[in-house]
Amino acid sequence: MISEDILEKAGLHFDEVNKLRVLKPDTNQQTSELKEECHEFVSKIDQFQKLVGSFIEMTDTIAKDVENEKMKAIGSRNMLKSIAKQRESQQQQLKALIAEKKTQLERLNVQHQSLRKQEAEQVEFIDQFSTS
Amino acid sequence: MKLKITIPKDKKHTETVTCVAWSSADEVISTGDDHKILKWNLVTGESFPLSTLPADVFPTDMSILPSQSKAGKNSSDVFVITSSDGKFHLFSNAGRIEKSVEAHKGAVLSGKWSKDGSALLTAGEDGQIKIWSRSGMLRSTLAQLPCCIYSVVWSPESDNVLYTNGKQLVIKPLQPSAKPLTWKAHDGIVLKVDWNSVNNLILSGGEDCKYKIWDSYGRPLYSSAIHDYPITSVSWSPDGNLFTVGSFNMLRLCDRSGWSHGLEKPTTGSVFNVAWSMDGTQVAAACADGHVMLAHCIEKRLEWCEFEVTLTGRKTIEVRNVVNDAHETLELRDRVIKMSLAFKHLVVVTSSQCLVYSTNNFNTPAIFDPRDGNISFIQQCEKHFLIVDHVGLYIYSYEGRQICSPKLPGGVRGSSLSIRTVSLSPDVLAVRDVKNDHSVMLYDANSGKLLGDGAPVVHTMEILTVHLSQCGPMSDRFLAIIDKNHDLYLTPVRKTSSNHRLPKLASMVQSLKWNSNVNILCGLRDMKLLVWFYPRALFLDKDILPQTLHERECSEFGKNPELCDFNENTVIVRRADGSICSISNMPYPAMLHRLVAADKWNEAVRLCRFAKLKSLWACLASMTLKEKDLATAEIAYAAIGEVDKVEYLKHIKSIPSKEVRTAEITLLSGSVNEAEAILIQGGFIYRAIQLNLDLFHWERALELAVKHKTHVDTVLGYRQVYLNQIHKQETSNKFKQYSKGVEINWQNIESKIEMELEKE
Repeated sequence: MISEDILEKAGLHFDEVNKLRVLKPDTNQQTSELKEECHEFVSKIDQFQKLVGSFIEMTDTIAKDVENEKMKAIGSRNMLKSIAKQRESQQQQLKALIAEKKTQLERLNVQHQSLRKQEAEQVEFIDQFSTS
Repeated sequence: MKLKITIPKDKKHTETVTCVAWSSADEVISTGDDHKILKWNLVTGESFPLSTLPADVFPTDMSILPSQSKAGKNSSDVFVITSSDGKFHLFSNAGRIEKSVEAHKGAVLSGKWSKDGSALLTAGEDGQIKIWSRSGMLRSTLAQLPCCIYSVVWSPESDNVLYTNGKQLVIKPLQPSAKPLTWKAHDGIVLKVDWNSVNNLILSGGEDCKYKIWDSYGRPLYSSAIHDYPITSVSWSPDGNLFTVGSFNMLRLCDRSGWSHGLEKPTTGSVFNVAWSMDGTQVAAACADGHVMLAHCIEKRLEWCEFEVTLTGRKTIEVRNVVNDAHETLELRDRVIKMSLAFKHLVVVTSSQCLVYSTNNFNTPAIFDPRDGNISFIQQCEKHFLIVDHVGLYIYSYEGRQICSPKLPGGVRGSSLSIRTVSLSPDVLAVRDVKNDHSVMLYDANSGKLLGDGAPVVHTMEILTVHLSQCGPMSDRFLAIIDKNHDLYLTPVRKTSSNHRLPKLASMVQSLKWNSNVNILCGLRDMKLLVWFYPRALFLDKDILPQTLHERECSEFGKNPELCDFNENTVIVRRADGSICSISNMPYPAMLHRLVAADKWNEAVRLCRFAKLKSLWACLASMTLKEKDLATAEIAYAAIGEVDKVEYLKHIKSIPSKEVRTAEITLLSGSVNEAEAILIQGGFIYRAIQLNLDLFHWERALELAVKHKTHVDTVLGYRQVYLNQIHKQETSNKFKQYSKGVEINWQNIESKIEMELEKE
């Protein structure tokens, strides 16, 4: 036992299988346990970082999408607004064309009337012969 | 009629196109704010860059040297581009800058070559108008205004200049002493003006969104409705029948009287410049969004009797026979430039050929090559037709053979003639002299030479319209003239006596037309249609002329109507708003004309009795005078209640000698000189002397008596009786002289007269 104490003083220990060790067997065990735990911790942190990274990525894409959609929405809202104006101008153009056609119709109506009148006159003229 | 627009798919200009111009019949030059000058070939539809302007040159206006001035001069073609840096640039046809001239302070806004290409007119932001020589030397500064001049044009004769002055338009004569004519034209700033050389009308468009038409005295003829946007361009077609108006997203085709043929709404932005091709069928437009818009006129419609002809495409004509509803489509090789339908023939001029179709057979046209593609108009008559191009006049037969080409005096070009100032009949062609608008030249339509002694028909006033009667022999050919005062004059083509003032038929006549089948004349006087059933009555019996006139109230015509056609018994009138009215006319006068032409007097009398129309009887009366048919004349004059004339006709009938009868009838028509000539020619000296005595033409009677050494005493005797009756002394020296040597013995005289009458 004394030898053990001497060894201990010199900082040397024997473990269960009687191998000479610098550390105390239980310290050794604790150290290795700590080492393992550290490993575990590091890998967990790693995993966590990966997870967070992908999450950030995802939020980023979503943000981008949202931004896009937002722009689209604004665009279409503007489009909607301008379409009213566009329609108005189109309507104006069509109205001008309609007015044009109307004057043409009026012209043709006048011609038609004059032809009708002429026809009536000619019929009357023919009637003169049939009655006399 | 409307414009068919083609807009090239891709823009060739990257910026606003500001000006376009036609360099030949199928080539357009365009330039714009992108500093490119492009040349467009319309046949292939391609464009290629001609040249590039320096980066600091922004073009504002372009003008191509008129083609007619190039002939003879062996210089390269020149076009001018004015620019915003106050310069104008002369270009050769290849697109090289020949010369740049510092012209104005601020931008040059308008630049125009004169019609003969000898001078260039520019106007700028500094309010100055300058005239430059062909080579770019300053000749004169015409005006100096406190405001910008947006547009400036030459007058048709290049002796006046029209320019904008804010809301006003100004006509400034080139002579420094002459006063300019100024009038307020628009409610907004006037942006564009154009002046047509054929119809002499002015067109203006302004910021008040209206376009207006003015005559050369600044009187308003038409004002359009208000458009949505300012009018940015106006342009006359070369023949003056159409014009185009450009505005924001709009191109309008209008008739010369102002009404709109068609409206197009292309989305090309403002139309800054419109140019017509030389043949008047195509239009190029410069658009604000960088497009060069090309358009051509289609759907022109012609009607004649039962035929309707429509130009449906550039190269297709559709013919429809209304009576049997037969359709015919004529496919042509080239673009149609002009067509005309009348007298059973359709004449079509394309860019390379002239085709003459008979309405009986549309399959085999007579084809020939015209001299020049730039045709002003076609005029047809029964036997042949006239083509007027920019160089001269050509008469062709309907078989396509050239009959003749009358030469215009003094190198006048055909382009200055219009359909109103030229009239073709089967044997005579009448052309108003371009240099002297008081006279009308008459040509033999078969030889192309001047008629008779070549002296023109001269009038005291400016002549606006000429029209020849269309039927009958040469002796029936009459020329109707409307002058500046709108008075209608009638003259036979065969002159009876020279230096005679033209006889007036009516006043305030706006438009006239001869019937194409019989020699009936119709005219328009405000709201009234006038039809002269026998215009010749003016030369036969003036007193009954008003009775041969048929007036018809036509309030439906509105203001300024125009006679389009008078065929068979239908008069076609176009109102100022473009609508066409047709009016039927009584068929009797035409029938009467035909009967008389066939010498069927009994039938003619029967027709008049049937129709019971005073006007018809009056026609017959004057016709009998012309044909010297006394029996019928008596009936006709009796029917219209002209007792004195019936009596006189009875007296004529009792005369045994034929010549004297003829002379007396001529006398009834009022032509004393002619009657006297007939008598003298027939040897009836006594009658001739007596005629002058009856008319108190004492000196003439004495002259005849002395000349033929007979009845001097008779003349002196009657003169003495006359003087005694009115208690006057002899004043004529001649009579004093002869009365000395002659003794008056009434017994002698009476026996001599009796002897003369015996002799007949």
